[in-house]
Amino acid sequence: MMSDRPHLLLVDDERSIREPLAQYLSRNGFRVTAVDSAAEARVRLNANAIDLVILDIMMPGEDGLSLCRHIRETSEIPVILLTAKSEETDRIVGLEMGADDYVLKPFSPRELVARIKVIFRRVASGGQRVTAPDGATYAFAGWLLKSQERTLVDSEGVSLPLSTAEYNLMLAFATRPNQVLSRDQLLDITQGREANAFDRAIDNQISRLRKKIEPDPKNPTLIKTVWGGGYTLSAEVRKL
Amino acid sequence: MTIRRLWPQSLVGQVILLVALALFVAQAINFGLLLRERNRLTLTGQTAPLAYRVVTALDQRADRTPERATARDGRPDRRQTRAARFLSTQPTLGGKPRPDVADRARDMLADMGLTVRQVIAAEDSRVMPLRRWERLRLRQGEAPDDRRVGRLQLAVEYDAGRWLLVEGRIGNRPPRFGGWLAGQTLILYIIVLAPLLWIGRRLARPLRQLTASAQQFARTGAADPVDERGPGDVRDLTMAFNAMRARIIAMLDEKDRMLGAIGHDLRTPLASLRVRTESVEDDAERARMSDTIEEMNRMLEDILSLARAGRSAESPQKVDLSALADAVVEDFIELGSPVTLADSARAVALVRPQQIRRALRNLIENAIVYGDRAHVSVAHEPGQVRITVADEGPGIAQDRMAEMLEPFTRLEGSRNRETGGAGLGLALVRAIMTEHHGELRLANRAEGGLEASLVLPA
Repeated sequence: MMSDRPHLLLVDDERSIREPLAQYLSRNGFRVTAVDSAAEARVRLNANAIDLVILDIMMPGEDGLSLCRHIRETSEIPVILLTAKSEETDRIVGLEMGADDYVLKPFSPRELVARIKVIFRRVASGGQRVTAPDGATYAFAGWLLKSQERTLVDSEGVSLPLSTAEYNLMLAFATRPNQVLSRDQLLDITQGREANAFDRAIDNQISRLRKKIEPDPKNPTLIKTVWGGGYTLSAEVRKL
Repeated sequence: MTIRRLWPQSLVGQVILLVALALFVAQAINFGLLLRERNRLTLTGQTAPLAYRVVTALDQRADRTPERATARDGRPDRRQTRAARFLSTQPTLGGKPRPDVADRARDMLADMGLTVRQVIAAEDSRVMPLRRWERLRLRQGEAPDDRRVGRLQLAVEYDAGRWLLVEGRIGNRPPRFGGWLAGQTLILYIIVLAPLLWIGRRLARPLRQLTASAQQFARTGAADPVDERGPGDVRDLTMAFNAMRARIIAMLDEKDRMLGAIGHDLRTPLASLRVRTESVEDDAERARMSDTIEEMNRMLEDILSLARAGRSAESPQKVDLSALADAVVEDFIELGSPVTLADSARAVALVRPQQIRRALRNLIENAIVYGDRAHVSVAHEPGQVRITVADEGPGIAQDRMAEMLEPFTRLEGSRNRETGGAGLGLALVRAIMTEHHGELRLANRAEGGLEASLVLPA
């Protein structure tokens, strides 16, 4: 399905964003089709082999969320949402509609490209979609991981807020329970979402997480070290 | 103080207490009048038989018609002789003198056209013989009325030096006035106060709802409409309140919509600019441009947050503020900022975590910009949790402390003007603390530098 130059469909009613962004993406090795409405986007989706859709939420006529739902119902094409609103609800609704990622305006085009690449890498490496971590809650070993709030909730109902790096790491484990994850894999997964917030060593973050969730951080029973392999979250995880 | 404590605070309570007091006073006056009347009646009841005996005795007096008195049935009337005695000297009456009976008797005799020279009366506790019907009942086996019956004596000087002494019973009915008053008052209270209580509750419930709704509105900026019921004027008040509430909510919603639109409309050109900066060849120039755009976006974010303060959609939850501070500080350390955190024990409070994160971030950013370094600590004190951010800067002059909390105020001595922001940071922190019923405290440290504390109720 993927050619050498992945084909992106950019849907934004704002010409001032659509045109320079299309140019930038073209310069960075993508084939870009830019359209200004959801109706036009539907036509292009039928006519062309699109590899990824970049979609503005706020558009006159049919909005981005509706189009996103349509795409998800009819295909497996990944979707990145562009939103000018920082309200949590918008983000969550977008991800519930099946978007793969979201970018807040004003965004760094470099970051957008990085995220596009992460999605393509994921598609290429087996195609397993990690849908919408945001908004979901994961339950394991008496803990709740609330992705919307980036918070762990203990058995007494008290929230323990996590730093960005801790959260990304915890989310990586919670979405892949009982799976051995090497340091490189963890770096890859966690850096994909927050490009520059993860400069410290994985081991350091692991020990911080252990301090928060392990009954005895010296003898970890939840986040176990696998010799020669990496780390694994040894617990049943339920997605709520 | 006691009176104030007893005085009810509620409208209905005060009305009911007033009515109860008024009823009681009316009952007391009523009782006084009745008691007086009753005493007069008793007095008359005691005096009348004696007065009649006097009249009868004088009528049938032996020196006037002796032959007739004995001749009618051939023997003297026993009752008459025992009940009335003619004397030629003033008798000495034992026991308690009863001038009231004497006065009443004189009036009664005068009413009957008999003028007498002198009347005296007295009562003693001598037991009078049983009455005829009482004797009959006793014989039939009925228990006697076991009442002490006293003797009342009345002496009348009907002519100079000529006295007539008669006697009768008194007090064969003990007064039952107290119980009667209590019973009557109780019935009255039930009849008057029960409907009053009902009306009061009808009045108080919508008022209470109104108060609760107004308080809720003041606290959260949203409240359910109040049921329009109760008496007419209360219903009018409720309707007026509901209309006001609807209008305020509409205005606040309009404000939020407007802010959302402003946010969207400003972010779109910012996004456009941001994309275009990528085509700038000069790397340093491009970095500066994107920094400026980022800065504008942050200011926009601050303005929108401040304008939305108090209308947060986030719900409060129990949060370990030590973990929160740790997470925020860790994010700063990740970015290489000079921030330290003192170890602290778990400190749980009911807060909106995203907002507290925001407030703490603002304080730490200020500390880094104006005070080079930020030292964060969390203290769990009785009833409150205090998150303190201390810096190593010059502090703030005491007279400018309050000013710093106002929007768009910036400290002139900022060494790093280009990261100074719009001066909304502390105003936003204060708004967040107000929403949490907490407090933002600023103080200069003794060892130099400023200390900003978030004090939250725990």
